[in-house]
Parts: sequence; C-alpha cells; structure tokens
Amino acid sequence: MLILRRRVGEAIIVAGDVEIEIIEISRTRVKLGITAPRGVAVTRREAAAIASENHTAAGLLKTGVLETDLVGLLANISTKMAKTDRAAADM
Amino acid sequence: MTPCAEIDSGPADVIQTPHFGQIGWDRTAELFLPGGLPGFEDERRMIPVEIPAHRPLVFLQSIERPDVCFVSLPVRTVLPGYELHLTEDDRAALGLDETRDPEIGTDVLCLALLLPHGGSVEVNLDAPIVINLHNSRCVQSISPSTLSGYYRLNHGGAWEAAC
Repeated sequence: MLILRRRVGEAIIVAGDVEIEIIEISRTRVKLGITAPRGVAVTRREAAAIASENHTAAGLLKTGVLETDLVGLLANISTKMAKTDRAAADM
Repeated sequence: MTPCAEIDSGPADVIQTPHFGQIGWDRTAELFLPGGLPGFEDERRMIPVEIPAHRPLVFLQSIERPDVCFVSLPVRTVLPGYELHLTEDDRAALGLDETRDPEIGTDVLCLALLLPHGGSVEVNLDAPIVINLHNSRCVQSISPSTLSGYYRLNHGGAWEAAC
C-alpha cells in the first residue's frame, strides 16, 4: 500500500486523470474532492459491496418468491403489526 | 408517504412493466434519486407501488427501466426499535436539515430491500432506502461500519438476526 501525507488544498493524481484533493480535515474525518472522467466510477467501499446486493434484490421478483409461502408469512407480519398498533392505541 | 402508483389507471404517465402490467402515476408520486442506487446509478426516477394483498410490501419500480423493480418493506416491521443514522452526505442528498435527526414516518420513510435467501428472504438494515417525505428525494443510506444488519424471515413468519 502506498501511503502519502497531504495537507488541505493538496491533491494526488491517480492514473493520470483522476485527481483527489483534500478539502477539509476535522478531528475524525477527511473531506475529499474527486475529479474523474465521466466513465470512471467513484464509490465508497461499502457502497461497492451493496451494488452486488442490489442486483440480487432486483432479481427477487423474477424468482417467483412472492407466489410462495412468503406472502402468507408477510401477511402474518402485517397482522402482528396491526395488533401492535391497536395495543399501542389502547395504552 | 407520497401517493403510490395505481395499476391499470390512466393518469399523466404510463409504463408497461413485466411484473405489474401497465402502471400509471402522477408526477407527484415520483421519487428522485440524485445518485441512483449502488449498481443502478442511472436509475434516477422511481415510483413506489403498493398492492393491498401484499402489504406491508412497497415495490420500488424504476421508471427508466421497467424490468427493474425492488421489493421493500418498512424497516420497523423488521426491527420495531430501528433508529436511522444518516451520514452528512446522505443528509445533503436528501435535502434534510442538519440541525436535527429526521423522524421515521414523519420526515422520512425508511425501507429495507428484500433479498432472496433460500426459499425465504432477508434484509440488510445497514443499507435502507430513505425517502424524504417533504421533497421525494431518495438515497440508499449505507452504514460505513461492518455489515451486520442482516435479518432473515424464518418459517414462523418472524424476523431473526442472521449471524
């Protein structure tokens, strides 16, 4: 891993055309400004993992899962919610 | 929540979808996602669809791509004590006041996407879809902490933490 030390206003260049500038530094956070060509995807690491998950989520309806017992289970949740709401209203 | 789309009706805009057939909606029902969703960065407009028989599910139907539709449900149906923690970037994208935390149900709607898991489903409460009820802006708020917010629907119809 390459480690660099930079101050506010300084920047680094990646692959010739991606610029990452240090905008602000606080006690626990760093604000970065990233300039990259339109075709370069810039994302937070945790979001990259979620991208794959979202593709899986988008395929749920295609699995036909809503035509299975799941609907009954969800209806059960709905009923429990209604009971909880009524109990809260009675308190 | 903003008015949901209606199936087989004839309001201002209409799309043909593989899952619901023809959907018509009013522009005020649209959700605007400034950055799309991770993996779906170009999907900037969606409509929430509710079907009485499938409540409390909320279907998030892409307007640009009729084949893209997410199934979600309010996070507090999974975890009643769920608290939302938004990053500064999420707050800015949603156009929320920085001085106070938004209230679920009053200021924002917080939905968990359903993921297929075996014959059932699971949700990741560390990556909810958050909708600002005042301006219909929408983001997926992803916790930067370790991903440990998975809950699975068991065969008894209860949600349990997935270890």
